[in-house]
Amino acid sequence: MSDEAPALSNVTYDELEVGQALGTVTEPVSAALAGSLAGPIGEPGEAAVAPPAVFPVLFLKALRRTLGGIPNGGVLAKYELDFGAPLQTGGEVEIEVSIADKYVRRERPYVVVQFLITGADGERTLTGRKIIMWPTGPGEEAPS
Amino acid sequence: MSAEFPSVSEAISQEQIDDYAEISGDYNPIHVDQEAAAASEFGGTIAHGPIALQTFFRSLTGLTGGEALPPGTQVKVTFRAPVRPGDTVHSELREREDADGATALSVECVNQDGTIVIAAQAEIPS
Repeated sequence: MSDEAPALSNVTYDELEVGQALGTVTEPVSAALAGSLAGPIGEPGEAAVAPPAVFPVLFLKALRRTLGGIPNGGVLAKYELDFGAPLQTGGEVEIEVSIADKYVRRERPYVVVQFLITGADGERTLTGRKIIMWPTGPGEEAPS
Repeated sequence: MSAEFPSVSEAISQEQIDDYAEISGDYNPIHVDQEAAAASEFGGTIAHGPIALQTFFRSLTGLTGGEALPPGTQVKVTFRAPVRPGDTVHSELREREDADGATALSVECVNQDGTIVIAAQAEIPS
């Protein structure tokens, strides 16, 4: 593992508030990263423009840095993605992360995390929402 | 948009899952720890959701003819079932409507048993 941020987080459902800003981070988007996500995952390559698969990776990197790790035991349920200006590789993006919603449906807790991704030129490249079935529900403590 | 929707098929391996963990920093044990995953409700490792989604994304970029999707494209994805190492996932077009300057698609990604692992909708401006 090359990142310094912790790998997994035990933030509970109750600790998150709707509208809560988790923070803003910057992440590089290299031609090699984009290339490895343009075709079969992990196949080396280079790309001048970021393919759509780059954005879920940026979600994970931003979550790891703003939430203290990726939710331990969380299950990915949905994505909602609104694409903006194409993202040229070789620069950095700014990722603003917040809690857009949380709810319980069919006795399962869900948290909606929103990502606003802006390119180096200041143009919005993606508005993304990631809906995660959270590992803890209302009133529950983090697993030890 | 007159191009045909290209179906994309991809075999999923543990090596690919490990590669994605390295790329994304998501080392959740359910993806990369054989022992912990075997003891989980899944009974073994499962792929990160975006790995199976890649078949859908590759179909979309194949359809639109660019590396990125056109500005204004909206995508909604529901992850319906886990994907395991050894599975083969392919994207299949279910519905398509070309109208009012946009193309609306309903797509399912299915595994080798016909199980729907991802259901997705896209609206792509012309």
